[in-house]
Amino acid sequence: MVDGFRPADLQEALEFRARHPSIPIAGGTDLMVQKARGFGLKPDFNKPLLFIGHLRKLRQISVRDGNIHIGAGVLLSELIINDKISEALKMAVRQMASPPSRNLATIGGNICNASPAGDTLPYLYAVDAKLILKSVSSERIIHIGKFITDPKQNTLEHDELLTEIIIPNKIFNVSYYKKVGQRKGMSLTKASFQGLADIKNSNVLDIRIAFGSVAPIIVRSREIEASIIGKPVSEINAAVPEILKKYATLIRPIDDARSSAAYRKRVSLRLLEDFLSKLS
Amino acid sequence: MKNCISKPINRVDAPAKISGKAKYIGDIHFENQLFAKTVRSARAKAKIVSIKTPTLPDDYYIIDKNDIPGINRMRTVVSDHPIFAEDEVNYIGQPILLVVGPEREKIYEIVSQIKIKYKDEAAIYNLEEAEVKKAVFTEYSYSKGEPKATFQHAERIIEDEYRTGRQEHIYLEPQGITGDYKDGCMYIYGSLQCPFYIEGAIQDVLGWDSDRIRIIQSTTGGAFGGKEEFPSLMACQVAVASIKTKRPVKMIYDRDEDIICSTKRHPSIVRYKAGLNKNNEVVALDIDIKFDAGAYSELSPVVLQRGMFSATGVYNFPNLKVRGRNFMTNNVPSGAFRGFGAPQTIFSTEMLMHNIAVKLGTNPLDYKIRHLLKRGYPTCTSGKIRDEVKLPEIIEKVEKMSWYRRKIGKHKKFKGVGLSLFLHGCGFTGKGEATIKGKIILKKNGDTVTLKVSSVEMGQGAETCLRKIVAHTLSLPMKKVICETIDTGLIPNSGPTVASRTIMIVGGLLRQASLELKDRWNDANEIEISKTYKHPDFLSWDDDKFEGDAYPTYSWGTNVAEIEIDPVTYEIDVKKITAVYDVGVPIDEKTLEGQIQGGIVQGIGWATIEVMNSPKGKLTQHNLTDYKIPTSMDVPEIECEFIENPYEFGPFGAKCAGELPFVGAPPAVAAAVSNAMSVPIRNIPITPEYLMELDKHED
Amino acid sequence: MKIEFVLNDKKQVIQVDPASRLLDILRDDFELTSVKEGCGEGECGACVVLMDDKAVNSCLIPVGNIEGRHIVTMESFRKTERYKVIEESFLEAGSVQCGFCTPGIVMSTESLLRENPKPGDNEIRDALSGNLCRCTGYNMIIKGVKLAATRGKGLW
Repeated sequence: MVDGFRPADLQEALEFRARHPSIPIAGGTDLMVQKARGFGLKPDFNKPLLFIGHLRKLRQISVRDGNIHIGAGVLLSELIINDKISEALKMAVRQMASPPSRNLATIGGNICNASPAGDTLPYLYAVDAKLILKSVSSERIIHIGKFITDPKQNTLEHDELLTEIIIPNKIFNVSYYKKVGQRKGMSLTKASFQGLADIKNSNVLDIRIAFGSVAPIIVRSREIEASIIGKPVSEINAAVPEILKKYATLIRPIDDARSSAAYRKRVSLRLLEDFLSKLS
Repeated sequence: MKNCISKPINRVDAPAKISGKAKYIGDIHFENQLFAKTVRSARAKAKIVSIKTPTLPDDYYIIDKNDIPGINRMRTVVSDHPIFAEDEVNYIGQPILLVVGPEREKIYEIVSQIKIKYKDEAAIYNLEEAEVKKAVFTEYSYSKGEPKATFQHAERIIEDEYRTGRQEHIYLEPQGITGDYKDGCMYIYGSLQCPFYIEGAIQDVLGWDSDRIRIIQSTTGGAFGGKEEFPSLMACQVAVASIKTKRPVKMIYDRDEDIICSTKRHPSIVRYKAGLNKNNEVVALDIDIKFDAGAYSELSPVVLQRGMFSATGVYNFPNLKVRGRNFMTNNVPSGAFRGFGAPQTIFSTEMLMHNIAVKLGTNPLDYKIRHLLKRGYPTCTSGKIRDEVKLPEIIEKVEKMSWYRRKIGKHKKFKGVGLSLFLHGCGFTGKGEATIKGKIILKKNGDTVTLKVSSVEMGQGAETCLRKIVAHTLSLPMKKVICETIDTGLIPNSGPTVASRTIMIVGGLLRQASLELKDRWNDANEIEISKTYKHPDFLSWDDDKFEGDAYPTYSWGTNVAEIEIDPVTYEIDVKKITAVYDVGVPIDEKTLEGQIQGGIVQGIGWATIEVMNSPKGKLTQHNLTDYKIPTSMDVPEIECEFIENPYEFGPFGAKCAGELPFVGAPPAVAAAVSNAMSVPIRNIPITPEYLMELDKHED
Repeated sequence: MKIEFVLNDKKQVIQVDPASRLLDILRDDFELTSVKEGCGEGECGACVVLMDDKAVNSCLIPVGNIEGRHIVTMESFRKTERYKVIEESFLEAGSVQCGFCTPGIVMSTESLLRENPKPGDNEIRDALSGNLCRCTGYNMIIKGVKLAATRGKGLW
């Protein structure tokens, strides 16, 4: 059995993917921990590794038709310094892991890992990011919400690779992000909140709200967002209790080693309330 | 004016560490070495019904209780921990056997094939259950004055309860030991604090005399008490394995394993009944201390004693009753950790005083000042405070540095300031030093002096400071004063590297020997001087009644913490700590500042983010992803100053310093949080989850 | 898999399971023991080395990923002028206690100063946030890094 393959380019990678069951690996920062077995021991992968972190095609950030295309292999540390990337995404990325890990980890990895605590996800959900999934013979573009189905589960086919993330061209003039961790430096997320809004002439033209780490997948509700869109900001205060009530039914966190369900739920709603209060 | 000994010098051990040349035990290759992996209990309390092991390939071995020629117990204060489990296990992670061999991959494969059948028994998972079931390892009490009568006539009685959490050391270098049986002798190499503790433990397990046992320390990557008693267990295991395999056997833990099975700071519950007089001063105090000792007693009795003798903090409570109990639970054993029982009781008492003051509507500092110990006062164990207590100067200084009173007067929600006062008893508790009788040797050879001690460098700066004491006394350059390798075959037993005793006790002996050598310097080219500790005659201690001088003297301090709380998430941001200490005379201000900065941050960690739960005997946080210690982004600005107060019997007037800074930070932070949120704080760690619960009524 | 890479300025070709951790290859096969293992999950930073001049956790890197990369450990970095400045500064600032985290911190410092020769306090704190230290409480390390940046002006 081949223990791994380093393709020369994306085409070769896709061909290998079509022929062999494989585990695509870019930075490795999630996979190497999940498969670790202890000091001095090889991580336990049950399929050959397909190394894709070095592929140039996956390392580019470009603007096409006004949309930002981020290669799946772009490092977190590269996102932080790239001027095409929005301040909102940078804010989330700057609080992820630590510099030595951000020099390895990729945005594509964070998406494919499909953890409810993945810190790029609330932003990507909020902006309706789309993913390009390629195989030798096909290409499909799907909404990130359709890609991640459950904790650690995604719809990547065995012959596909995530190649690009598309951030739609859309400007929000209010951006609010908060990651609640166990400490300030290098921490996994207990709860996170991404709020984006487009306010013009004191009216809510658009609003996006996403919660991380408080349900099996990122929580976002177009229905509730739609109920806020179009409102003058002066009416938001009065609507807050109703909005909180609606989100409260969607936020279903768990107790774990890092926090409690009760705290996660309450803090998420408090963050939402704080965001809404900043709109008026 | 500052004492010239205090002037900072560069640490002697640092260059090798910065460059990466220093060899820790994992970095040392032993010719023909084998690796060892421990198979551990998966049950909190069970009988072992059967152990099925696979057929072993050549050169692979299983080492268990049957391989122990001597006593299957680790020697410590209470020698109750089996080296390898016999017919029962009492905590998850308890060692049952070792798999030993040349290849780690193969060892893991063998480990995965070992099947252990257990018969579960009723376990005890926490202090509450242990109290109901009366599972007590040790119980002590002492009293002073007339507590009963005073309570009867008290104007007011306040009862309260405080809790502190389990804490893991997280020395950056995980535990590691190698045993090498060679030419009829046992050589133990490793990361350790107390070479002669290990020597004694090996003697019991092998049934040998000490002359065939050598304990050799490798560069030690942090310890904080975590490498006080625990390495003895590993050393005994690899010693037995090395005899059986006739090869060096190396056992290095990875982080998860280290966290799962190594000792922890004792979780505690402290209950108080305080009797106040008509001036609202605490005149009678009843303190009931409960520690979760875990599954084996080991050195918990002494941890409890220090906790009990520190329980009155810096205060004089004329009528006092203190009861202390160590409870047996089926949790991983608790053990030595910086402060050794004192941080739990000092936190609790500081918060009690703070909370009473707030309840009475008084400034907490003013309230505390009314109760302070002074020179000549009796200690809680009816000994005597013999040296000047410079708390008034300490308080004055911290007030000038931090503007505590002004800040506490301008109270704002979510912003707080808190102050702690604290002490630490220097050296061993009670008769400890008199029993150990630490010995040192100073040897002159030409223009070089070698000091032979068993106090180890483990990051705290012992080597630099001890050499400095000798070099300074003899007016020699540092490079002419060297330390003998920590090898029990080459050094005398000056006692373990614990209890903040290294500078005051061992350094004190070195100072005496250096002064003598100075007098005799020109007598000969080679001179050897040895000194043995003599307990000062004026100190008395009754170990049965817990009466007398529990410690020869005390170091003192104060911390002011300034914090902010996120009004949305309740996350605590410690902004600044201002600290003033009396540690006698600092031997080296830079090394001392290192202890202070590190101790405070470790204390803040314990007080805020370090959560370690053990439901059903299984640790929820058992890796560095879940168990969080502070990072560079989490630490506040720390400003510290010293008040000199030379101690007659310490080298250059030095007292203890290593544990003291840990003790002071948690109550200062807790008092600041209490101030910010206008709620009494009774538990640490103060997590955002806990704060949210406390603040619930506010919404 | 055959992997070609540069290790401490020397070209190396190794035949290896590409899933192996770079950390183990460096410690076990090349005996570069300045690289420490403190956790094996990218949390402690004791294993930080430089890959193409950037600090990375060697415990998280499958060696299949180092093809064509340049890995530097303390064993070669300690021969540089920049190292000498860091060593002096760390000595003077009291940045070292038990030392187990120190090589990783030196590597993170080098990575930071290459990117940002005049870092502010917060930038240093962020750069070192992946290097745990249990002894010093960090402030004296931050001071050491600042001192190195000042003293080594022009070297980075």
